[in-house]
Amino acid sequence: MPGRILAIALNTFREAIRNRILYLLLAFAVALILCARALSLMTVGSEEKIIKDFGLATIDVFGVLTAVLLGISLVSREIERRTVLVLLAKPMHRAEFVIGKYCGLVLTLLVNTAVMGLSFFGLLLALGIADRAILLAVVMLFLQFLLITALAILFSCLSNPIVSCMLTLALYVIGHLLWSFDLLKARITSEAGRAICTLLYYTLPNLGNFDIKGQVVHGLPVPAGVIGWAVLYLALYGTGVLLLACAVFRRKELQ
Amino acid sequence: MAVLDLSEVSKSYRTHLSVRRYWILRDLSLSVREGEIFGFIGPNGAGKTTTIKLALGLLFPDGGTVELFGQEASRPEARRHVGFLPENPYFYDYLTGFEFLDFHARLFGIRSPGRRRRVLDLLERVGLANRADRQLRLYSKGMLQRIGLAQALVNDPRLVILDEPMSGLDPIGRREVRDLILDLKASGRTVFFSTHILSDTEMICDRVGMLVKGSLKAVGAVEDLLHGETPPYWEVALRWQGREALPCGRVVSCREDRLLVRVESRPDLHRLLAFLDRPGATLVSVAPARRSLEDLLLREVRGDVVPAAGPESGPQAEEEGMRHAG
Amino acid sequence: MKRARAARTAGAPLAATAGGLILLAALMQMRLDAVVRAGEGPSPLLYLPSGRYLKVVSLGFDPILADALYLWSIQYYSNYRIEDRYSNLEHIYKDIITEIDPHHLDAYLTGALIMSAEARRPDLALALLDKGIERNPGAWILAFDAGYLCYQDLRDYARAGAYFEKALRAPDVHPQVRRFSAEMTNRAGDRRASLKEWVAIHQTSPDDYVRTIAWNHVHDLKVQIDLEDLTFAVAAYRSRAGRLPRRLDDLVPAGLVSSVPLDPEERPYEYEPVAGRVAYGGSRVLGR
Repeated sequence: MPGRILAIALNTFREAIRNRILYLLLAFAVALILCARALSLMTVGSEEKIIKDFGLATIDVFGVLTAVLLGISLVSREIERRTVLVLLAKPMHRAEFVIGKYCGLVLTLLVNTAVMGLSFFGLLLALGIADRAILLAVVMLFLQFLLITALAILFSCLSNPIVSCMLTLALYVIGHLLWSFDLLKARITSEAGRAICTLLYYTLPNLGNFDIKGQVVHGLPVPAGVIGWAVLYLALYGTGVLLLACAVFRRKELQ
Repeated sequence: MAVLDLSEVSKSYRTHLSVRRYWILRDLSLSVREGEIFGFIGPNGAGKTTTIKLALGLLFPDGGTVELFGQEASRPEARRHVGFLPENPYFYDYLTGFEFLDFHARLFGIRSPGRRRRVLDLLERVGLANRADRQLRLYSKGMLQRIGLAQALVNDPRLVILDEPMSGLDPIGRREVRDLILDLKASGRTVFFSTHILSDTEMICDRVGMLVKGSLKAVGAVEDLLHGETPPYWEVALRWQGREALPCGRVVSCREDRLLVRVESRPDLHRLLAFLDRPGATLVSVAPARRSLEDLLLREVRGDVVPAAGPESGPQAEEEGMRHAG
Repeated sequence: MKRARAARTAGAPLAATAGGLILLAALMQMRLDAVVRAGEGPSPLLYLPSGRYLKVVSLGFDPILADALYLWSIQYYSNYRIEDRYSNLEHIYKDIITEIDPHHLDAYLTGALIMSAEARRPDLALALLDKGIERNPGAWILAFDAGYLCYQDLRDYARAGAYFEKALRAPDVHPQVRRFSAEMTNRAGDRRASLKEWVAIHQTSPDDYVRTIAWNHVHDLKVQIDLEDLTFAVAAYRSRAGRLPRRLDDLVPAGLVSSVPLDPEERPYEYEPVAGRVAYGGSRVLGR
């Protein structure tokens, strides 16, 4: 089994590497990061902050876009175009396909994030404003990408490329707004309403957990607990999502 | 021992928004024996591809059981000795021929030292050895079919399942596939393939199953199916330069000295052939226009279109069934 | 059929495990939230770059961004646990939200409200409202709010009056603003101008209720003005003639008043010659 998962993972990585979308997004991202310098001319007194904010935001957005687009294109489209038939006719569990794809995507995102992160850090070094905590922020962003990819795969197993793309992006937006559920709960008077709020808050993916951009840019300390619990959260939630994807894919009829 | 066994299998289809079910297969029972070449024929939309997908665990039956080598088809291990080539296959465009086969070999757990050798052998066998380093994107249809066949054989399977293996191939390609199938049988493998090119089937299949609108209308050896269908006539093409009239038969067409004569019985045929054994007469060909599988198929298909009571039959239902089926 | 259905439910343990993991993840979330709350530092929004920068970056979504920030600010300022939440009021409302969307009236009004009522910084509130008035000349509510602030908190009636006058310049101003303006003129000390305004209101208002109010004001103002004038005239008489006049009518030949006004009920004002005090016989409507 691990041999097959590895084979699928490497194959997925190879497919991603040869996919033009990846390079377009990556090139655009790196270009934008380097433009952060230009953008800082528009503000007064906080150039360093602008560059760091912009760079991290670019990595965030492009990482998410890559995770979603690659995830959809490599899984949902494959299922739709029936490339997957030949694979699944092999003596392998369908779950191996899901996990193999995920590992391949993770590998791709790792390379992707590393390229963006390092070019950003290189820029900061050149400008003399580098700070190791920036790397920590990039790592946390990478964790976010891992979760989003798992979700992209789950939705790919459920429906066609366009719908799964929309759903994943929707969950991305929701995932960043979960903090407002707490506030909403304080204002709802009915017990049922509050219960629903609490349920949603804990079931939907909380992507804000991986967002330490603000603290890092301002040089504020990030408590170890924040990182630690976020990692555990990713491990548990991400695995849960993948298992769900396996369960769904297991009984999927491949017309 | 049955390598593939479907027993009372039913499969229906339902679009997301409607409640109505469309039955693609109904109580289908089919058994493929080891070492035979089994041809699965039927019109488009009969459910052939659906049957194949059920056999491979890609679809799950609503009712009945599907077994491969005695194991339930949905279990991964059942497919260890099976090779599969889908219809109009889509493969990973960006891989080269070699990488593609290597990948599939890895999925079977074939290890490093022998794997490379195996892949190269397969490429040789399907005639793609010198195109191995080109991406599949650049392959022609015929080449894709061949690499697909290679992929189906990568694990040296005991059962090879092919869905329309000869579709879209030129006559040379079709000949090659036919030869490959015969080779497989010669080495003790079982081949199960679906097709709607009936002439090929007649030539190479040991047994044939005819699927029409989800039910198996006939199954058995070709001769048995056509048993009792004595040829109604022969068509004899000949050259006769003499003036004497032919002893029997009816001239269907005539051009200069070439004649096409229709003979209605065996004694008449012999008489005509004996007549041609003289100077100035040349026998060109004798073609028994016997009932073929095609006739049988057409009869089965047309025979069902007699409308019965009830909403599910009739031309519309047939259309629907064909659209959703295999 | 049975075997098919049994196979279908075989995926259930996977799904159950998935559910269990997500539950555990929820526990992690709770712990994470606890850590974050324990070390709750200054809110991230305090480090927003300037509004102008945000407006550019928002790529045409500035109204939405302003709305979102406004909504956030309401939540933030309703949260009584954050003790130093007023330290960046000006930055948030003046430099950011209203910079992104200068026409967001609620931001001006609510911001000013928080600034004056909760943070007790009416100066900040007025500065914010001034900005709003400048950018939104047609929005009389801003000037009115500023005027009311001056009236209520600062008791600076002159300034309030100036604001109300600004508000009156808008075409669709609420009629009540005129009444406020008239009253502010009075409070600022100029009774006569105030009277003129009230008379105008009385004459132009189509509403009985408003006319009654206007009349009440006119009534009392007239009394006050008349008493003031008469008292002044009596004093002038005294300084000229060395003694108090015997009757109010004496003021006329002395040239100190052109005529002796009657009170609103058309009765003469009461005059007590010994002390020289002029009084009004009736009762003031508004009790002032």
